[in-house]
Amino acid sequence: MSFNILNFYKRIIYYFTFDLYRNLKYKIILANFLLSLVPLFIVITISYFWFINILKQDFYSHVTWQLKNTKQSIEYFISEKFSSLRFISSVYSYEQLKDQKFLSKIFYTLKKESPDIVDLGIIDSEGIQRAYVGPYKLIGKDYSNQDWFNEIIVRSNYLSDVFLGFRKIPHFAITIKKEIPETQSFWIIRATINMDTLLKFISEINLSEKDDAFIINEDGFLQTPSRFNGNILQKVSFQIINPKDSVSIREVRRADGNWVKCGCVSIKNSQWILFTQIYSSPYTVIQRIYTNELLIISFVSVLIGMFIMFGIAQNIVNHVKKADEERENAIAQSEHASKLASIGRLAAGVAHEINNPLAIINEKAGLMKDLLEISNTDMSKNKEKFISLINTIFDSVNRCRTITHRLLGFARRMEVSIEFIDINEAIKEVIGFLEKEFMFKNIRLKLELDETLPLIETDKGQIQQVLLNLLNNAIDAVERDGSVEITTKMKGEDFIHISVKDTGHGIPKEKLKHIFEPFYTTKGKGTGLGLSISYGIIQRLGGKILVESELGKGSIFTIELPIKYRDE
Amino acid sequence: MSRAKVLLVDDEIEYVNALAERLRIRNYNVSIATNSNDAISSVINNAPEVVILDLRLPGLDGIEILKIIKKINPKIQVILLTGHGSTEKIEEGIKDGAFEYVLKPIDIEELIIKIDKARKMLYRNNLD
Repeated sequence: MSFNILNFYKRIIYYFTFDLYRNLKYKIILANFLLSLVPLFIVITISYFWFINILKQDFYSHVTWQLKNTKQSIEYFISEKFSSLRFISSVYSYEQLKDQKFLSKIFYTLKKESPDIVDLGIIDSEGIQRAYVGPYKLIGKDYSNQDWFNEIIVRSNYLSDVFLGFRKIPHFAITIKKEIPETQSFWIIRATINMDTLLKFISEINLSEKDDAFIINEDGFLQTPSRFNGNILQKVSFQIINPKDSVSIREVRRADGNWVKCGCVSIKNSQWILFTQIYSSPYTVIQRIYTNELLIISFVSVLIGMFIMFGIAQNIVNHVKKADEERENAIAQSEHASKLASIGRLAAGVAHEINNPLAIINEKAGLMKDLLEISNTDMSKNKEKFISLINTIFDSVNRCRTITHRLLGFARRMEVSIEFIDINEAIKEVIGFLEKEFMFKNIRLKLELDETLPLIETDKGQIQQVLLNLLNNAIDAVERDGSVEITTKMKGEDFIHISVKDTGHGIPKEKLKHIFEPFYTTKGKGTGLGLSISYGIIQRLGGKILVESELGKGSIFTIELPIKYRDE
Repeated sequence: MSRAKVLLVDDEIEYVNALAERLRIRNYNVSIATNSNDAISSVINNAPEVVILDLRLPGLDGIEILKIIKKINPKIQVILLTGHGSTEKIEEGIKDGAFEYVLKPIDIEELIIKIDKARKMLYRNNLD
């Protein structure tokens, strides 16, 4: 099983890397892809989070502001109620207020200013309601067992939780304790307020259908009606984390299963906590846009981009391939031209060489004819002379044969074939071509060939082509009356060095780096390709050509070749 | 009629011997040299009228030898002998005083005509 997977991966890698052009194509596509996608992705991600953050901040500050506003209204409202009661209890005495009629007057005056007051009662230190104005029959009611009574004994003011009062309408009560220092006693004034105003405050919080706003007490019982969290006086299902005087907002899962942003703040001087739950926030919309619409847009544009990119990459790669092919063709053609030129130069040399034996044949044959025709020589009486003349003709023919065979042998080796050769012998063969030229130009040829060199695994024809090129260059550099020295020796264990040293005009330093470039020549004639082709040949055979030269002194060209054939 | 006194200069001994003999059969007075030193000695000692000079001699440039001959005796007519149709060399030679040229392998009749012309030129110059 794992073998198959490994094989599969190998095949994929092979597919992409073996064909260099396909390799290039996919590299271009991948590079473009990453180059365009990575920044895009980074920008989208950053702007997403940044954007969401900003909207979130905005939303939170809005909710906070609303809650704070409402909280302040409620607190003000409550403290205002307490102030009224405190005022009454400060201005009037217990005796005065105990009077039912008096209390009524106070009550109705109060009610005119604050219509939400439902009843007003005076309670003594035993918990008995001594005076009462309101819709119920509560005079004489004993409150001593009530929680609020026990609370108020300890505190001086008390805000009760909501309870269902008259006609099951929700009310809350505010109670003030007034100390009587003379008798070490106290009395209580208590008013019941209906929820209308509070509810009005709450409703002013901007809410949409799925949102909710309500007040609960510290134990979690609803003080106002809630849309989604239960009815009034029911306990809410979510956990109440310690409310603070400042607004805190967190994400909560509501009873109906939805996640809501829950803001809460405590109401001062009460056990109440104001809550708001927002279902939809603007920034979740962004989330949806991003994940749905933006994703689709990105995907589609990436797809289009990929499509175009494939086309472009293929186009580029096709051009590159074509250019490579054309370049290879051009190089092959110019190499061929250079080969022909070198053969041409050889052929010219050969023609010169053959001319002499031909001239000899011409004169010997001519002489035989002259002897027979002009001198009337009797051939039978001068057998030796004629035979000698004829033999000279044969000798000349042999000379021609040597020369033509040398050229033919060289031409035959135009095809590449790697074999073990004796480099010194190859050098001497090449020199055979150039001997006469050396002689006529009076250039001294010195050979320092190491006879202990091993056989070299390389292409004889190509090496000889390079040697011919270097030697022709040496002859051209010297022109007349100098010397050319050819040296062969080992370089380390794996290489040999063949050096061609001339006493010619040398190459200036700034030109040295150009000499192996194609079409570069300082001669007036020639293709300028000789050295560049030689360089290429040696490189392909696993070696290199080095040059040292000094202007006015001469040059040394060294071919370094590996003994064992290695591809470039 | 006596024929010209000729000096043949070429490094190929077989060639020069055969050509010399062919010219002698035609009554020319022929001496031979196979290198520049012998050629110059022969010019000084034998006083040829016409020198047939191969341009491709080992060592010294044929043109140089031509100049030397002309310096020794400017009246001597030189016919250049060359295997290759290198027109620059021939032009240079003519400029330096060579009378004519022939290409190897030669046509003997053509050579003879040119030798006779050269000799005439020499005597015409002598009369001036």
